[in-house]
Amino acid sequence: MSKTGSTQPSERQLSLLVTVLAFALPVVFVLVPLAIFLVYSFFGVDQGTIVYAPTLGNYVRFFTDPIFLPVFWNTIVLCVSVAAICILLAYPAAYFLATLKGRWRYALLMLLLVPLLMSYVIKIYAIRSILGLNGFLNKALVALGILQQPSTLFVFNMNAILLTLSLLLIPFAILPIFLSLERIPQTLLRASDDLGASGWQTFLRITLPLSLPGVASAASFVFVLAIGDFLTPQMVGGISGFTFGRILYSQFGTAYNWPFGAALSVALAMVVICAILIGERFGRSRGTSL
Amino acid sequence: MGLKKAFLRLATIGLGIGLMTSAALAANLRVLAWDGYADPDWVKDFTAATGIGVDVVFIGSDDEIWAKIKGSEGQDFDVFAVNTAQLQRYIKADLVSPIDVTKLPNQKEVLPRFRDLSQVSGDTKDGKVYGIPFCFDSIGLIYDTDKVKPAPTSMSVLWDPAYKGKILAYDNGEHNFSFTALTLGYKDPFNLNAEQMAAVKAKLVELKRNVLSFYTTADEAQQIYQNNDVALIWANYGQQQVKALQKIGAHVAYVNPSEGALAWLDNWVISKGVRDNAAAEKWIDFMLSKKVSSALSERTGFGNTVTETSSAGGNDKLVWLNNVEDPLKRSDMWNEVKATP
Repeated sequence: MSKTGSTQPSERQLSLLVTVLAFALPVVFVLVPLAIFLVYSFFGVDQGTIVYAPTLGNYVRFFTDPIFLPVFWNTIVLCVSVAAICILLAYPAAYFLATLKGRWRYALLMLLLVPLLMSYVIKIYAIRSILGLNGFLNKALVALGILQQPSTLFVFNMNAILLTLSLLLIPFAILPIFLSLERIPQTLLRASDDLGASGWQTFLRITLPLSLPGVASAASFVFVLAIGDFLTPQMVGGISGFTFGRILYSQFGTAYNWPFGAALSVALAMVVICAILIGERFGRSRGTSL
Repeated sequence: MGLKKAFLRLATIGLGIGLMTSAALAANLRVLAWDGYADPDWVKDFTAATGIGVDVVFIGSDDEIWAKIKGSEGQDFDVFAVNTAQLQRYIKADLVSPIDVTKLPNQKEVLPRFRDLSQVSGDTKDGKVYGIPFCFDSIGLIYDTDKVKPAPTSMSVLWDPAYKGKILAYDNGEHNFSFTALTLGYKDPFNLNAEQMAAVKAKLVELKRNVLSFYTTADEAQQIYQNNDVALIWANYGQQQVKALQKIGAHVAYVNPSEGALAWLDNWVISKGVRDNAAAEKWIDFMLSKKVSSALSERTGFGNTVTETSSAGGNDKLVWLNNVEDPLKRSDMWNEVKATP
């Protein structure tokens, strides 16, 4: 009795410590930095130094200056398109993976995820040379007779950003879709077959609806990663591919206007949070109805 | 190259520690410089010739120099290297000492454009000389000799519709406003009034529509050149960029535009806290010798103030970079240029 009495307080202390740590880490490394940049967005800049007096000027500028909202909107449209392309390409791939049996399934999955091990910058460089005027894509299209002469359609414009981001982010779409497909009980498919449904009907009525949570989280994943990216647009976007990330980046680099950059980040964060909430909402409601 | 630099740095650190023990006896000359401005063999030669020991500290950015000099109010170093655009800031903060040019015999032998320092913008204040130029590079125009005929003489070729989609420009608002102002014929490209800014902005929107892309690093420009049909490159990295392109077999040449090429110019300056002014003067004079200057150009690819180099011909007009009226404004307007459809 006395023995358990002596261990209990130390155990309780330990669990208290673990709890504090578990809360402290996200607070110190996530919430506090977020709060700091939120506060910064209400400061101003004068002659290259930050003025620590609260102002709404940055937000007023964001909503009234004619350059920011159109670029912001175009960027959102771009990233929704990237998410759509990724889903369209990733779904068949994930479906194929899910139909495989045993060892092959995971070997192939690993193969699809290998690009994630490579440096992101190197991938952009490689893709850019593929898309260039003398690049592989143009050479292939000309050789196949699809194009008369090399085209500049694929590089240094919005198309280039769309293609590059899609290519870079497809693995992030495959994984959640594959997981949701894998989780569908085989018994449901067999039951559907027993009741006389065709393969196509089974797919439309059983597989597709049950995999939608995976699709939703894949879409929000890809969208969030795409909208936060400034390097890809900077490197392949050229003159017409100007995105919100590039404006944001310039506020921290050359302009040295951190408060305005912080305000732009807040706007971006709002969109990102919305995307995550939407992904979460669809992901969960389907899941619980099972 | 990186490895070589690392070794050099290690060697310098080793030398530094070795010399520290003797530092208490004889006060060494304390030099703050960029990599390539105080190579170990020159330091050795200098010590052999003058009997003055030298401790070199290398820096990697303008901000770092400022932090080191301002942090100690100039007491930690005797001589340091800084560009003309930055120098005025040090003069204003009273961190540098005026230099007696008569104590530098080699300064009389420099190229004509550097002989009268009152003509080099940024080097003097109230008739006193504060900086001795020793190293520079221009921001000219690289052109493909097979595609651009006749050879261009002005940056206005960047607006030529014949080269639409074959031009690489640099992604920096400050420089782009300055060089466009020069192309438009404005006297002081670093101090533009509102009307001039608007005109330059309109001109930059036209430029944007004529270029293939805006690059940021020399390496990036080279890669784009290899994979696309590029005829003209606005050469932010000057000679280094030309040489790198020629190395991969590109048929390119370099020209400084007739309206004036932007150029950076690094100077030796003596800090306020200098311990032995004569030793500092000897160092500067030594760096201005033909031998060191030409070796510097050979090793770095930059121009020097003593011997002719490919950075600039004798008649080329160079406009030394200076602080611009409002960097934030230029950066914002550059974003507006980029956002214009």
